[in-house]
Amino acid sequence: MTLVKDKRNLILTGVAIGIISVALVLLGNPGNMGFCIACFLRDIAGAVKLQTAGVVQYVRPEIIGLILGSFIISLLKGEFKPRGGSAPITRFFIAFMVMIGALVFLGCPFRMVLRLAAGDLNALVALAGFASGIAIGCYFLSKGFSLGRARTQTKSEGVVLPASTILLFVLFIAVPSIFAFSTSGPGSMHAPIIASLAAGLIVGIMAQRTRMCMVGGIRDVILVKDWTLLGGFIAIFASALVMNIATGKFNLGFAGQPVAHSQHVWNFLGMLVVGLGSALLGGCPLRQLVLAGEGNTDSAVAVLGLIAGAAFAHNFSLASSAYSATSVGGPSIYGKVAVIGSIAILLAIASINTFIKKREA
Amino acid sequence: MDTNSEKVATFHNHYGAMMFKKRVSGSRLAPVPRSLSSSCGTAAFFSSPFDVELSDENLEAVYIKEGESYRMIYENKE
Repeated sequence: MTLVKDKRNLILTGVAIGIISVALVLLGNPGNMGFCIACFLRDIAGAVKLQTAGVVQYVRPEIIGLILGSFIISLLKGEFKPRGGSAPITRFFIAFMVMIGALVFLGCPFRMVLRLAAGDLNALVALAGFASGIAIGCYFLSKGFSLGRARTQTKSEGVVLPASTILLFVLFIAVPSIFAFSTSGPGSMHAPIIASLAAGLIVGIMAQRTRMCMVGGIRDVILVKDWTLLGGFIAIFASALVMNIATGKFNLGFAGQPVAHSQHVWNFLGMLVVGLGSALLGGCPLRQLVLAGEGNTDSAVAVLGLIAGAAFAHNFSLASSAYSATSVGGPSIYGKVAVIGSIAILLAIASINTFIKKREA
Repeated sequence: MDTNSEKVATFHNHYGAMMFKKRVSGSRLAPVPRSLSSSCGTAAFFSSPFDVELSDENLEAVYIKEGESYRMIYENKE
């Protein structure tokens, strides 16, 4: 009975999120990028000059809204319960690699669904890689993988990340001159600040209430044959699909998709890294933001790992370039090596925390 | 109290839920009900009586269903 209610809430929320996501594109966000946690954290890393790729620098209010929406609603509902201490450094580096995988594909799981809903078939290849990564992660979970128990933390510890996003927003509004902003490329394309912030807040609140998570959804289907969580993302896909068709934004195919490339092997492997890493973290990048808003300091560390990964991805040319009139796009040799290396390291982390730790116990 | 009405056990990790399912016949795994937790882990649903002996370090808490809500009947202290 409760699960039926959970499922209904997830589907209704998913429909609303799909509509909001396409609306943000209509209001100015880059193509199929109503939301993209990876791209937006990368843009923030650029705005604060952790990376200096001129086309991807902007303080995305959506990210600030997502964290604060979750923070506010969890405070109101008595669910702001700071917890942490479950292998924070390991989580930092897993998140770092998740970001590299996402930037090789050019999107987080959330944007992957939005790209799919706009007819971008490259996202279908990525989905196969993503699900494969989660399946590998599930194998380790079912063999006993754990990053260790999180324990209760002080309220002040849990408030640090949400408070820092407030500070970032205040500085963004009050002294924008201290930040770097793209004048061309995806970083220069954005919805009005108030719309972006409101969208982030609303989706943050809804995602906290429903535990919306792409990784958790596929994980539950594999491990316990339960479709509740995945229903949310299927609903996002369906409503964004209808919105895209209605507004003429639907374009079925591989070629010519906005902020995308058609290097199939690397779309597959990039998202395999994201699926595997996120399964080990216990949630996709969106979920990490929402959990950080609830005071989960392990997720806050993961968010910092994502930002650091984005900075490295651009400073060391690991991120893919998008298809354009002059280039087919895709990852550089550095990006390819980073993806293969990330898969090897994630498998090593998973194996050590599954088999060797058990022997020690 | 500890009758044959439905109970839900929550865990610190998925492996804990799997091990619990092996120990408690007739139990089934499903996502933790939203009303119990904002986390998205796996819970074990079962109706046989709960005994502390069934607990291990991965078990977080056990709840009993009362009407549409749940009441905690066991908490594994940290």
